[in-house]
Amino acid sequence: MNISRRTLMRGIGAAGLAAAAPGVFSPAIAQSKPVRIGILAPRSGAMGTVGECGVRAVQWAAERMNKDGGIAGRPIELVFEEETSPKDTIERFRRLALQEKVDCVQGLISTGVSLGVAPVAEEEQALLIMWDGTTQDGVKEAMPKSRYVFRSTDNECEAVIASLLAIKYFKGKIKRIAGINPDYSYGRNNWEAFQQILKRAGVEVEVVAEQWPKVGTMDLTSHVAALKAAKPDFIFSSMLFADLPVFMKQGSAAGLFEGVNLALPAAGWQINQLKKEFMPENIVFGHNTLYFALPNASPLQKAFVEDYMGRYKEAPHWEADRAYFALAAYKAGVEAAAKATGRWPKLNEIIESIPKQKVESLGGPGQFRADKIAEQTFYQGLSTNQNSYDFPTLKTVDSFTADQLQKPPGMDFWEWLKTSKLPV
Amino acid sequence: MSTPTSAPATVAPAVSPNIWRPSGLISFLVIIVAMAGLPLVASTYTLTLMVPFFGFAIALLGFNLLLGYTGLLSFGHAMFLGIGAYAAALMTSKLGVRSLELTLLVAVAAAVVIAVPVGFLCVRYTRIFFGMLTLAFGMLFHSILFKFYGLTGGDQGMRVMRPLLFGMEFEGGKTAFITGPFYYYALGLLTLLGYAMWRIVRSPFGLHLTAIRENAQKAAYLGVTVSRMRLAAYVISGVYGAIGGVILAVTIGLADPEIVYWTQSGNLVFMAVLGGSGAFAGPVVGGLAFVLLQDTVMSATQYWRFVMGAVLVLIVIFFPRGIAGLFGDAFARLKRGS
Repeated sequence: MNISRRTLMRGIGAAGLAAAAPGVFSPAIAQSKPVRIGILAPRSGAMGTVGECGVRAVQWAAERMNKDGGIAGRPIELVFEEETSPKDTIERFRRLALQEKVDCVQGLISTGVSLGVAPVAEEEQALLIMWDGTTQDGVKEAMPKSRYVFRSTDNECEAVIASLLAIKYFKGKIKRIAGINPDYSYGRNNWEAFQQILKRAGVEVEVVAEQWPKVGTMDLTSHVAALKAAKPDFIFSSMLFADLPVFMKQGSAAGLFEGVNLALPAAGWQINQLKKEFMPENIVFGHNTLYFALPNASPLQKAFVEDYMGRYKEAPHWEADRAYFALAAYKAGVEAAAKATGRWPKLNEIIESIPKQKVESLGGPGQFRADKIAEQTFYQGLSTNQNSYDFPTLKTVDSFTADQLQKPPGMDFWEWLKTSKLPV
Repeated sequence: MSTPTSAPATVAPAVSPNIWRPSGLISFLVIIVAMAGLPLVASTYTLTLMVPFFGFAIALLGFNLLLGYTGLLSFGHAMFLGIGAYAAALMTSKLGVRSLELTLLVAVAAAVVIAVPVGFLCVRYTRIFFGMLTLAFGMLFHSILFKFYGLTGGDQGMRVMRPLLFGMEFEGGKTAFITGPFYYYALGLLTLLGYAMWRIVRSPFGLHLTAIRENAQKAAYLGVTVSRMRLAAYVISGVYGAIGGVILAVTIGLADPEIVYWTQSGNLVFMAVLGGSGAFAGPVVGGLAFVLLQDTVMSATQYWRFVMGAVLVLIVIFFPRGIAGLFGDAFARLKRGS
């Protein structure tokens, strides 16, 4: 084919214009094809509202990023599938990877489901960035050397911080402890972590009651009665589904919380349902990685919270942050790798790049470790009902980074609890 | 043997295997042949959906021995899927035994050991009482799996490692394994077990079951040992369920308590009704339709459960003999027309 001088000059001119225009010249200049991101999130059942918050956030994030050029010049397209049982979610994952041919799958909240999906992602060599899912078998990391699977912070982070704050605020007042925790590994490990940390801090306590309601139990009166009969002075509960508001309501009606202090490390998930009318004050209240009313919040968080609360008339919780973080980490990894290679990066290059990027997420800065486990910023504090909402906020905000709250790579969690330098 | 296909539907209830007997095996073989040729034309993803279908189809053949032929509706049959799944997990993850043949044997043995006492208690009752008892045992098993963390992994379940097929290790990723050698292995199992079930339902034992279903008292007068026959049917159906559970677990790579939850038992009932429990191949057709329908609806809308529920309602009201019944009627009309 002969190229005329005029055609050649026109081409050089076009290239020069493209190079001069900021934000236009990018390795993906020739690729208008969307980056397809598969989203696996629960849309119904006990985790339905939680998943919905994450879905809303990832939609907001994609919209915002697309206005700013998408990912390395390519627009983001989201493909949704539902997280349900491990079997069905694995099938949904395969659909996203094999049929929809997405570039990356993000989502997953349940660790039980994540444990099933993660090995499939490794075997399919498909990139998976989890929102809240881990690959912890109990507290033990089941996939310490995953290549394609990026996991959330450890499940026990919120229990560690709540335990530390319980000691900080109530040391000397904790003598008789009681636990009401969901009857699965998360609840059992959190309760054990609380007791271990008290022991480590030299707080001598008597365990007066342990209650293990099944997730989704909506009549907790017998559990409340058992706790009341045990006369605790401190109750620790890592309940986090729709049963938490039920417990608080029934406990309040029964007078369970009179003269009793509480720690609710995962209460933020149910923030909109925890109404002031049945919520005592001064609870160690966990917001995990997003406290919507953070006084010194970043402009990014403020913009998101304002938009979210205006649109949905409720406060966002940490699942929004997890969803945003996953997408932002992927974008940062792709763009850094694209910049380094001068083209759209290969999957391996993206995987190598992601852990090197520090990302500004909704709740604060975060980064994936080299072992592909997230490190983010956590918020908890003492609750107050003195605000303009119909649910509690925090009167004191304590923030910690995940490196202070989770075991380092390869270490046993219980051993780490015994030997680490805890921040409080 | 040829039986009239124009028997009025009002006389025969939803369960009337006699009508479909001549075509039952042929329909089943048509499905098997279609599945054998599917890898030549279908996408990899479609093939990954078919392997769980094979697992369900095996379990449904057993389930239908109870429902379609004996007239007993089990609401806790997913327990046997779980027995198979956890047997696979125990063998491959805990004991390091990766032979699938050995795993299948262990699953069958475990199913028999559990089905005999459970069945002994359940088959003394019929109708809703049998359904409730099987549901209770299913949920009891679910609670055991859920609560015994040290043994079963609790809510997080147990990993199922990739097994050896006839002692052979296969290279490549999991998808290549599932859609390649394991696909044909599972299909082969389905064929063998389908043929075995065909022989069972046409044997004197199968006729006894049909007689029990039609009128247990009359059957007893004729010398049929009703309880023993029902127990044998329950044990056989349990064995089929456990084998189906092994196939499912290998495909998923995980055995978790969800697989035995009552909703999974409900899915088995749904599949049987969808396909038509009165026909030999009906539940197999129902299993295939269920897997494809759920996949399509789940991707199309987040309200997929509503759609699936609506489909079930429509089938029960308008097509009580399921998809197989529809095809049977159409085939009968064609035959009359010619």
